[in-house]
Amino acid sequence: MSPWGCLLFTGWAVPAALLVDGRWLAGLALGEVAFGLVARPRALRLLRRPRFWAVILTAVALAPFLVGQPDVRIGPFPVSWEGLVAGLEMAGRAFTLALAVGLGVASLSLSDLVAVFDRLGLRGLGFATALAMNLLRTLHEMAAATLWTIWLRGGMRRPWTALRLFLVTSVANTLRYGDDVVNAASVRAFDPNAGAPATVALRRADLALLATLLACTVALLTARVH
Amino acid sequence: MVADYTVRDWVTVGLFGALWAAVEVTLGSYLHVVFPSQANTFLTGTVLGGIGVAVALTGRHFVAKRGSVLLIGVVTALLKLLSPGGALLGPFVAIVAESALMEAVLWPVRAPRRRAFVLGGALAVAWNLPHKFIMMRLMYGKGVVEVFTKIVRDGSQVLGLDPAAAWLILAVLLLIRLAVGGIGGWGAWRLGRAVARRLGRRDPATNAPGR
Repeated sequence: MSPWGCLLFTGWAVPAALLVDGRWLAGLALGEVAFGLVARPRALRLLRRPRFWAVILTAVALAPFLVGQPDVRIGPFPVSWEGLVAGLEMAGRAFTLALAVGLGVASLSLSDLVAVFDRLGLRGLGFATALAMNLLRTLHEMAAATLWTIWLRGGMRRPWTALRLFLVTSVANTLRYGDDVVNAASVRAFDPNAGAPATVALRRADLALLATLLACTVALLTARVH
Repeated sequence: MVADYTVRDWVTVGLFGALWAAVEVTLGSYLHVVFPSQANTFLTGTVLGGIGVAVALTGRHFVAKRGSVLLIGVVTALLKLLSPGGALLGPFVAIVAESALMEAVLWPVRAPRRRAFVLGGALAVAWNLPHKFIMMRLMYGKGVVEVFTKIVRDGSQVLGLDPAAAWLILAVLLLIRLAVGGIGGWGAWRLGRAVARRLGRRDPATNAPGR
């Protein structure tokens, strides 16, 4: 499946997660997991993160105490059944929404992203994003070198002056580095407003996914009308 | 909007996007570990918002064209989204919304102005307050409104306060964010001019040559 297919799925799943409820939400969650297993198993690594589950399970843990009147007792705690149901639904919505975004993002590599921007006529934005991604480590090293220089020259005795020096030097060094990048791009005759866009071809699997999602949309709408 | 952007403009957008993303990824990850988002709705967003606003608006000094702050924000949001452990909708929406608010203030202004920087910065950081509620409403659905109401009612009962005091607390939190954002915008104005002088470039505000 091409990046278009994964973006299409995310573009469909996010509004669906916001609009459906009850058993349809459970169905959507299962559909997302199935899509992840078939198309992008790497994206399901999101489910192994404790922070992800902490966000999801907070709703299930809190809602029985905060929504509705207590009518059931779980151990020493009086809780509300209505709250438990509401909490499960809140957790389900958060799960489907987070997974929909995660599936779309995990399927995109940096080169896919640049190609997608290129195809959308935003070639410069793809170039800027790729440049920024490759610069992160260099910026970190430049900032660390600046900080150490100020430290070793006794600049920390006056913290506000040190902060000002650090900020001015870091931004100035970054812009100087940018000059080198501009020169390199000019030498290679790079023009963000010209040239043929990169191709991200649609595949059969994308069209099959489109047809499946259209069928799911019709089924959802029909169910809501009835 | 982007047709008149040169290679230098795009490189500068990428540079400032990378600077903002470096702050979000390193300091943001650290603050989220020290102050988990479930327990803290104030410090992390305000600190990151204030620094982010300062970085993006400093970038406006060097790409004095419409849309540059929004583009810097989009680059930052994409880097945050693509970073390990960053595939979360909340920070992505927050960064794009903050940069869109700054751009909305700067759009009608032809040349950079200090008051536009201060106002844009203040509005951008102020977004953090409704952002939390909007994202939770989107993430968890309408049930979260009932949870918030109950927390405010019970919390004010425990503290012996009038429930109406919740509005006062929200107003104070909003004011603090506005002040932090305004300081961020003002700092960006000063920083941009200082860097322009250091590099011997023309100051976009006064068009005076650098020393």
